Amino acid sequence: MTAPLLQLRGVEAGYGGQRVLRGISFDVPAGQVVTLIGPNGHGKTTLLRCVSGLVRLAAGEIRFAGEPISGGRAHRIVEKGVVHIPQGDLLFTDMSVYDNLMMGAYPNAAYAAAPQRLAEVFALLPRLQERRSQIVASLSGGERRMLAIGRGLMANGKLLLIDEPSLGLAPLVIDQIYEVIGNLKRHGMAILLVEENASRIIGVADHVHLLDDGKIVWNGTPAEMEANEDILTTYLGG
Amino acid sequence: MDTTTQIIISGLTLGAMYAISTVSLSLIWGALNVLNMAQGALLTLGGYAAYTASAALGLNAPLAILATVVAGGLFGIAMYALVVRHMLDREGFEVNVIIATIGIGMVLEAGLQKLYGAYPIRQPLTVEGGFFIGNVYVPFNSVIIVLTSAALMLALAAVLARTRMGRAIRAISQNRDAARLMGVPVELVYAQVFALAGGLSAASGIMLSTITTLAPTMGYDPMLKAFIICVVAGLGNVMGALYAAFLLGLFESTVQFALGVRFAFISMLLLVIIVLIWRPHGLFGRTRVTKL
Repeated sequence: MTAPLLQLRGVEAGYGGQRVLRGISFDVPAGQVVTLIGPNGHGKTTLLRCVSGLVRLAAGEIRFAGEPISGGRAHRIVEKGVVHIPQGDLLFTDMSVYDNLMMGAYPNAAYAAAPQRLAEVFALLPRLQERRSQIVASLSGGERRMLAIGRGLMANGKLLLIDEPSLGLAPLVIDQIYEVIGNLKRHGMAILLVEENASRIIGVADHVHLLDDGKIVWNGTPAEMEANEDILTTYLGG
Repeated sequence: MDTTTQIIISGLTLGAMYAISTVSLSLIWGALNVLNMAQGALLTLGGYAAYTASAALGLNAPLAILATVVAGGLFGIAMYALVVRHMLDREGFEVNVIIATIGIGMVLEAGLQKLYGAYPIRQPLTVEGGFFIGNVYVPFNSVIIVLTSAALMLALAAVLARTRMGRAIRAISQNRDAARLMGVPVELVYAQVFALAGGLSAASGIMLSTITTLAPTMGYDPMLKAFIICVVAGLGNVMGALYAAFLLGLFESTVQFALGVRFAFISMLLLVIIVLIWRPHGLFGRTRVTKL
């Protein structure tokens, strides 16, 4: 049996003296969508920032494809194939759609393959092709989210970390975004998905972890989550 | 008519020289959010390096210029690697870098004075001769300065717009964390920014020394004016800095002719105050809204 694509073991981290994550352990197997849900401000984003190397671990270890990546520099982790699509997109707002996508292909290997990747991203997200020379500041919220995902795909990664893809979008647009995520899953992409809204992930997630106060307090399949209503009401208020 | 021609020619020459310094300051500010107070000393270094390369080492003009630009770039890298890098991301680093770069500038200036003496030296790379437009004498040297500066600025604009390095520089100045997530080795790009700024400044220093003379303090006045132009343009905006440099060069030469040389600096400062009251982020500056 091969090791899972991403392994977290006893991950602890925080800012200053404040411990935000208190011993997180779980796996993301290849080709699966693993979801982290939980109330705001309980460490979901911090956990993703730990994986992508923006936040240092205080304890524990993160392995990607069997290799330890915790403690590595962010740009090295991207080169290995872990791509973080951050909350609120963090696009380069004064640059064009095309320039943003090309920034996504910054690592050497991705840069060499950028023309093919660009064609694939445009096929998946045709709206971006229409807008390719527009400045990001002129895009709608939904288009920006699409661009953030497209920019993440340009890196040619093996694992996507997607942080709150539905944040601040209209329901109809959220549906479109989840359609894209479902599409990526069908193409075999492994995804670690953070979402506040538990109902969104049913249908796309293979496994759900509930993060509360820096700890995983429950995990199971989406079906088990639906059957176990008091968990949702306790932690997410229904 | 002749007066207008004269004002335009000297304004363009001044603008061309200011443009490079302004853009160098703006590049570093845009990427790292720090002010490089050693900019003036970098200009001086460029002037003396070119003098040494052509007078002492006997290199021909293109080689001497190339060697100077390389020396400026290396000095920029050294400044970043030995000093600035260790201060970034600590509390109060903006002020620390200002003070440290003032120090670097003073050391460099004192070193140059020790090596070459305090007396003005003529820059051997100065181009002689000129031609007349109407009754106005136009030195070839000024024409070369304007053309070289324009070529350098166009090249820089192309690098920023189209290359992987240029895109990364712009990306870092817009969102450093996002650039890291894209796989940009931020520290390496910072070093590249300092190398670019150092090389450009050295080139600008050569130009400056051909219209004044070589002196250890020759960089001060252009550095102050470059700061003024940066503020007028909006800090960190490279293209804006370019336009503002030529605008203020023309403004300065107009004031010099209309009111007298001594009023030029005062009126530039007045202009800054007016611009900042009217547009606090500079003429071409934008408020940056960071959305979470």
